[in-house]
Amino acid sequence: MFKRGLVVAAASVMLSGCVQTRQFADVQFTPPSGDYKLLVLRPDVTVGSLTTGGMVEPRADWTDQARRSIVEALRTQQASRGANMTIVEHRNEVPGVTAQELADVERLNFVVDQSIVIHKYLGDYLPTKRGKGLDWTLGADAVKLGQKTGYDYALFLHAEDQVASGGRIALGVLGLAGCFIGFCAPNVGGQQQLDYASLVDLKTGEVVWFNVVTAGSQIPGVKFGDLRTPQGASQMVDRLLGRMKPGRAIRQQQSREKR
Amino acid sequence: MCMRCLQLTRRSLLVGGGAATAALQTGIAQARVRPQDMVPLIGPGFKPTERDEIGLWKEMERVEEEIAGSNLLITDPKLTGYLQNIIGTVGGPAARDFRIYLARIPDFNAMMFPTGFAVVFSGLLLRMRNEAQLAGVIAHESGHFLRRHQIRSWRDQRRKTDLFAIGAMAAGVGGAGAGVYLGDYVQLAQLGTILSLFQYSRAMEAEADAMGTRLLAETGYPPIEMANIWQQLIGEENASARYRGKRRRRGGIFDTHPSSDARMADLRADAAEITIPGKAYDSRRERYLATIGPIRATLLDDQVKLNDPGASQYLIDTLAQDGWNGLLRFYEGEVWRLRNRLGDEFRARQSYAAAVAYPDAPADAWRWHGIALMKEGRAAEAKAAFRRYLTMKPDAPDAAWVRQMAG
Repeated sequence: MFKRGLVVAAASVMLSGCVQTRQFADVQFTPPSGDYKLLVLRPDVTVGSLTTGGMVEPRADWTDQARRSIVEALRTQQASRGANMTIVEHRNEVPGVTAQELADVERLNFVVDQSIVIHKYLGDYLPTKRGKGLDWTLGADAVKLGQKTGYDYALFLHAEDQVASGGRIALGVLGLAGCFIGFCAPNVGGQQQLDYASLVDLKTGEVVWFNVVTAGSQIPGVKFGDLRTPQGASQMVDRLLGRMKPGRAIRQQQSREKR
Repeated sequence: MCMRCLQLTRRSLLVGGGAATAALQTGIAQARVRPQDMVPLIGPGFKPTERDEIGLWKEMERVEEEIAGSNLLITDPKLTGYLQNIIGTVGGPAARDFRIYLARIPDFNAMMFPTGFAVVFSGLLLRMRNEAQLAGVIAHESGHFLRRHQIRSWRDQRRKTDLFAIGAMAAGVGGAGAGVYLGDYVQLAQLGTILSLFQYSRAMEAEADAMGTRLLAETGYPPIEMANIWQQLIGEENASARYRGKRRRRGGIFDTHPSSDARMADLRADAAEITIPGKAYDSRRERYLATIGPIRATLLDDQVKLNDPGASQYLIDTLAQDGWNGLLRFYEGEVWRLRNRLGDEFRARQSYAAAVAYPDAPADAWRWHGIALMKEGRAAEAKAAFRRYLTMKPDAPDAAWVRQMAG
């Protein structure tokens, strides 16, 4: 019994935590580099505590800390790529456009992002979009935003992290202890992080690049990144935006050139 | 798997079933909350000091920014100022802290968010017959904030889910240690937890009703109007269900709100208890009608297009208890015309004809009246009606077509 419990515990520990990222790009997408103007619209960051019973308690202090660290990491990363970046926290902060216009673009982007998630990530694949890379657009509104503000790209970023509370960890420990007497439940669910970002080309209005990062563990107390710390925040920004792959057509062209 | 699992015996099932039934009973029939007992739990300028509530408020910042900038909002300063004024009257100690938004959604609803901003649906302005009724709904929503319902519900949920998680884990581990299987009891406990959360939510609503009645009475509105709102809503739901050949929902154990019937009964008792004989109460009907007058046509238009003829007809009849006018008669006709059952065309014609007899008949009443006359072969009268339409609405999208008909 004892031995079997350990094996099951070890197996569930190994299987139960991971970091996944999966990105899609427009076939003609080239990652922005050199001197480009990037507009980051209201990064949506929330960090909460996972209660013993599994609810998420939003934490203002952690959220503020995480947002600061993420913005800082984003600045460092984009500066190294040559970006001229503006991060807006409120809709009335962009000169040349009204808060309403910006809200319209944001809301449109939100539903387009939802559509991308449904059809690219959740398995509801569309035959009409097969082999076309990332084939979504925000249309004329985004182009207008680009013309009015002079930005080349808009970046939308969402990050949420739930940190297991002491009670949740204790619950996992109790479940792990149960393994020795035949009731093995260490994997009650621990830290859960979900981040996604979409990059919109403001010259064409197209969503040119999209990435989702999930980092979580089934075991409370085991962490795969922590947005509250500057290290965790820069790790997230790196996972999410660090390795932008060019679109398929561009990759093929590059490999032809190499040969 | 396990050789000596504890069987779910007949006795344990009976005990469990009895407990569940008791939970259901208490879930539906709650003791009435007395308005006298409802004192505001916060003062003016409330700001959270505890960690979980600070977190909740933080999360709401973005929500309010989103709602405040929504393009569903009706932003006419006269209307929003009017609502702000009402919540400033019935808002108790937090009257100056509330924000209130009016959304163009043709439905009976209003909601209060944890940080003290409320959203009122335009469908509410259509249904309320005087300012006291509107103030009653707003007072109910204020009650949620003044009694700190959002954070209390949240803490209740956290506490109960925590207890359930610990209990379930302890039952699993303890059961395994003792060699018995307690999974069925865990499932029963889970149902109990869920039901108790819904029950708590209904209790909060009952508190808000009682608090609302108190605020209403204290600010000089007749408190009985709170109960009248529910009487109207029950009537509307009955009419809507009857038309669709269904029965009205009566509320159950999975409801977040007490049933309309229970609320009406409690509010009647509240009002009787709190009304001071001889004191003058004013429903401020004239002011209400004068303020919502300019958008009443829009409200009626949104309602009749919901394709819910039973409810629409009931609403129009209810509003007409305060006197028919051209607008109500026209939309009565619209309900018939859009329903389009046998005989409805004739009913619609009668309504249009009645509508144009009133000085406040909308232009579209003349248009449809003209079409009806034309179908009856009364061309001269029809043309006169069309000309009247064109004078009232020279820039109508169909002006060219109507002009051709008018000859």
